[in-house]
Amino acid sequence: MKQDEFGYRIRQALNEGLERLDYRTSFRLQQARQAALARHSSAQPEVGWVPAAQTAGGPRASAGLGSWLGRLGLAAPVLALAIGFFGIYQYQESRRISELADMDFAVLLDEVPLSTYADKGFGAMLSQDASEF
Amino acid sequence: MATRDELSEFLASVERRAFKQAQFATRDVDAALDIVQDAMIKLSESYGDRPVAEFPLLFTRILQNVIHDHFRRQKVRSTWVTLFSALTPKDDDSADPLETLEALAGSDGAESAADKVERAQVIAIIEEEVARLPARQREAFLMRYWQEMDVAETAAAMGCSEGSVKTHCSRATATLAKALSARGIRL
Repeated sequence: MKQDEFGYRIRQALNEGLERLDYRTSFRLQQARQAALARHSSAQPEVGWVPAAQTAGGPRASAGLGSWLGRLGLAAPVLALAIGFFGIYQYQESRRISELADMDFAVLLDEVPLSTYADKGFGAMLSQDASEF
Repeated sequence: MATRDELSEFLASVERRAFKQAQFATRDVDAALDIVQDAMIKLSESYGDRPVAEFPLLFTRILQNVIHDHFRRQKVRSTWVTLFSALTPKDDDSADPLETLEALAGSDGAESAADKVERAQVIAIIEEEVARLPARQREAFLMRYWQEMDVAETAAAMGCSEGSVKTHCSRATATLAKALSARGIRL
């Protein structure tokens, strides 16, 4: 009982001390609280999927010409991407064909260095070509 | 599940006391403020969606853990400082030990003691003596009598038995009463 009473009096004194905190400390505590609340799960913005047409086409999507332009705005990048891929494929193919043609010419004109015939990879390529024919 | 407002209300109700507890432990205002901020952020991030009724005990445990982490980091830092200071030549006389003593004398406790208001003096002395208590005794005493937690809650928060809590509280009360009496304060 005596211990409890002593504890109660100490508590009163400590509570009085809390009221005497200086402004700087109170302000820093308030800032700390705001920083903590900013990390609360309810403070996180809702993340949801929004169709691109709703943002690209936007409010004009319902109008006649606007709707067409909106769809074009969505289709144009896809089309550009497809054309780009096709162009890269064509370029790689033509490069490969010209490399093979150069090599064939070199073999036919007997301009291939002797060391090439000793190369296992070259032999494998020739046998592969022969099997294709 | 607690809302943001409920969490805000809870933090506002405990922030000052938490600061004082951290300050009693560290005797450093800035470190105490950092500790309180860390504890608040941890509560908000990890337990912000818990029921409000669980906040007091959770926050108490988090605060104690953050204070202990602070001392652990300080211990590691001081180990490295000791190591490097042993490697550096000791011809630098610029460090005056009296500066440290002056800085201690100019701490919050001393400033408050210099206050003219008698009550402020008494409160400052009480806070000073509470801060001087051994860490575990102070934790138990403050949880039991300041935060009004019961023995079981205090034991759970401190991670010890209820018997240990009673022993810590009893010793803290005896030490505090003796120290205050020696300084001429009668409660």
